[in-house]
Amino acid sequence: MTTEAQAPTTTEEVGGMGHSKKRKEDPRFIRGQGEYIEDVVLPNMVWMDIVRTPYAHAKIKSIDASEALKMPGVLAVITGKDLEAAGLHWMPTLAGDKQMVLPVDEVMYQSQEVAAVIAETRYQAADAITAVYVDYEPLPVIVDPYKALEPDAPVLRPDRGPDKQHNRIWHWESGDRAATDAALAASDKVVPIDVYIPRIHVASIETCGCIADYDPVRAHLDFHVTSQAPHVYRTVISLVSGIPESSIRVKTHDIGGGFGGKVPVYPGYVIAIVASLTLGRPVKWIEDRSENLQADSFARDYHVHAELGLTNDGTITGLRVKTLADHGYADAAADPSKYPAGLFNVITGSYDMPQAFVEVDAAYTNKPPGGVAYRCSFRVTEAVHTIERLVDEAARVVGMDPAAFRMKNFIRKDQFPYHTPTGWDYDSGDYHTALQKALDMIGYDELRREQAEKRARGELMGIGISSFTEIVGAGPSHDFDIIGIKMFDSAEIRVHPTGSAILRLGVQSQGQGHETTFAQIVAEELGIPMSKVMVEEGDTDTAPYGLGTYASRSTPTAGAATAIAARKIKEKTRLLAAHLLECSPDDLEWTPGQWNVKGSPDRFKTIAELAFAAYTNHPAGMEAGLEATDYYDPPNLTFPFGSYICVVDIDKGTGQVKVRRFVAIDDCGNIINPMIVDGQIHGGLTMGLAPALYEEISYDENGNNLAGTFMDYLLPTALETPAWETGKTITPSPHHPLGAKGVGESATVGAPPAIANAVVDALAHLGVTNVDIPITPQKVWRILHEKGVV
Amino acid sequence: MQFSGTVQIAAPRARVWEFLMDPDQVGSCGPGVESIEVIDADHFKAKAKVGIGFISARFVVDMTVAERNEPELAVLKAHGQAPGSAVDATANMHLAGPDEGPTTMDWSADVTISGTLASVGARMIEGTANKMIGQTFDCIRAKLEAG
Repeated sequence: MTTEAQAPTTTEEVGGMGHSKKRKEDPRFIRGQGEYIEDVVLPNMVWMDIVRTPYAHAKIKSIDASEALKMPGVLAVITGKDLEAAGLHWMPTLAGDKQMVLPVDEVMYQSQEVAAVIAETRYQAADAITAVYVDYEPLPVIVDPYKALEPDAPVLRPDRGPDKQHNRIWHWESGDRAATDAALAASDKVVPIDVYIPRIHVASIETCGCIADYDPVRAHLDFHVTSQAPHVYRTVISLVSGIPESSIRVKTHDIGGGFGGKVPVYPGYVIAIVASLTLGRPVKWIEDRSENLQADSFARDYHVHAELGLTNDGTITGLRVKTLADHGYADAAADPSKYPAGLFNVITGSYDMPQAFVEVDAAYTNKPPGGVAYRCSFRVTEAVHTIERLVDEAARVVGMDPAAFRMKNFIRKDQFPYHTPTGWDYDSGDYHTALQKALDMIGYDELRREQAEKRARGELMGIGISSFTEIVGAGPSHDFDIIGIKMFDSAEIRVHPTGSAILRLGVQSQGQGHETTFAQIVAEELGIPMSKVMVEEGDTDTAPYGLGTYASRSTPTAGAATAIAARKIKEKTRLLAAHLLECSPDDLEWTPGQWNVKGSPDRFKTIAELAFAAYTNHPAGMEAGLEATDYYDPPNLTFPFGSYICVVDIDKGTGQVKVRRFVAIDDCGNIINPMIVDGQIHGGLTMGLAPALYEEISYDENGNNLAGTFMDYLLPTALETPAWETGKTITPSPHHPLGAKGVGESATVGAPPAIANAVVDALAHLGVTNVDIPITPQKVWRILHEKGVV
Repeated sequence: MQFSGTVQIAAPRARVWEFLMDPDQVGSCGPGVESIEVIDADHFKAKAKVGIGFISARFVVDMTVAERNEPELAVLKAHGQAPGSAVDATANMHLAGPDEGPTTMDWSADVTISGTLASVGARMIEGTANKMIGQTFDCIRAKLEAG
């Protein structure tokens, strides 16, 4: 059942679901009193800086650190040979591959770590890295993944064993190849498209960093780090270093943006730990901006060929997709183990798709490793961009309006739960309502009239639609794990005697507002005012084990765990209330914040009274205290969706694309804090605008990264960002305890194809069928010149 | 990056050859060259400061005369490194014309820049390299023609 709004059931003071409570974390952020990793200073702390290679592929002939070691304040220089002695020169990636911590023989991408200098101050370390002389012998560089797969290409990773002397990392398939081939062969038309989803970077404002603090006396490691997944870090550090997990404490602080880039464990972290183990002092390492852009895990980099089968009346018959994924020199994606290409096979999108077949090959190249999910649930952005571009092309081929084509082919709401041909079970959806609302809100018919008039006058205006389906909340333990750890998440609630509470979570906010949202879930379930619920994350000594925050999974997993833990507490308060009110538990009913005796509205006990009783007056046979923990294993993923419509105007003289209007209708199920959801959508839309028009990490033929500064890697500012127009529909998830679905990434995923479709729509009468993102003025200007428009 | 060009020098071919084969002489014309160390007839080492835009780096460049066919043809290979940047180049020179001059020098160079200088200076690198090569040949011609 889809509605437009949900009425709160709690008072404004309690602040449960549906209240736009101001964020509890913001007072410290807006006063500049957040505590980021750079703010953490420990006694006796020293600094690390990293020597990086200028070559994208080269043999290391020698490393001479003698001059650096003579410089003021320098304590140590660590090289790959030093790590090799301890067996730490390679480390496992979360994707089951391995990557170098520091190289011994060869460097594999420009700006890879080569050596580390530890010094008393940051400046001394930075000066000393320029005095480490590394002698290289350049080797042939592979930048293009297609060339990497050619039979005579140099093998980049000979370490993989005799049966893998090639650059193909893996091949992955989903769906029924034969049935899809047959469906396309029987179609009236097959519409192809080739799209490149370029390599981009999360470019969080806070770069990565850590302080490794090994205390040789206690034999204990405190590891302060900017991590989206602190518990996974603790396990990985223990596995790599051999330090017992009980002697490792991973502690995050405030995190200035993660977006998937703070899920992987980076070589710098391991080197810092080795340095601290060696020196017995805290070692701090903070990346600078160029290191962050050049060496941290990238996102996307998918070359996609897709074909859509159609009948003459515009009914979709099947989808066939062949993709090449460029993973750099190591597969350091953070995808669930069974899904090397993430959830890319959600590419059938919002459409009733009789057949589909998807195959992905991954290749090694001389680029940084990665494949992180930049604000999207494991390759969903790549999938949505492809299908939404392809659907637009298909509509054009059969001569239908792209909105009408979508309406004709959408999965109908009576088809949910819907089983897709690639194996997903969409839990709920109402795509027609969302698109109709977007069309009405933007005034679609009037815009099409305006476009026709402008086209007649030679002006370039386009309207683009994207009707995406997300797949988030990984995930059910029968299918989802990372390095073997099932993708549950957790919550632990303790209610104090005076009625306030602490909630500890296995997830990790990076700016999403967990301290507010998760307190509101407790408020909703127990009636404890959200202002009296303290939310704590990111200390592995106190928080229950969890997989962390990415892939829009916090509300679907830890949000559910919070609700279930609260319900366990509620059950205990029922027994306490029955004891205090001298009645049977069955005679009680819950109204927000209190247990009432049925039929006697004046006989009740509030949650505060019951919390007090749990410590002061609990019945014989009952444990004292009021706390509960839940490790939530979701039965299914959740499937947020939405319809976005974008209007662009193109300047014929400069090729500049201006987004004039952008309407976003989102459906993330039941909403906990509407203001935070709006904020997530505004931020997500801006991060969708960014790759659509501005951002790309490109390389020259020698493997030099050409976007290693914010001068070349263009982040949109308030000047480039249009006034987003947002709206919503609400289709609750049938299996989530709160009916919620997750929203952090919908807009990043949904926005780029809406913008690309609008640009192609503006140029379609010239014969343009695709423009790859980022759609820069240069690309458009070139098209306009080729088509003889200017 | 590929560069090539032709320079006319009003000097006898033997003298041009001699000048070009003398690391100290030709080195004095290299932009930003701070010192030249001759190791043997075919190997020498230069220290030079190179700047593109706001990025500058002090390179240590090992140079090798890979081929010489007096007084017509020489091939020079260079491998230089600076913190975070590297340059690898092969230069060909061909001298022609009457013995007494003027001498025509056809030259070509294949230059690979790696690291920070290439990343950050990408938009300006070709222009800067062209300018530096131009300055070098202007200097060589001026010195030879002057004396």
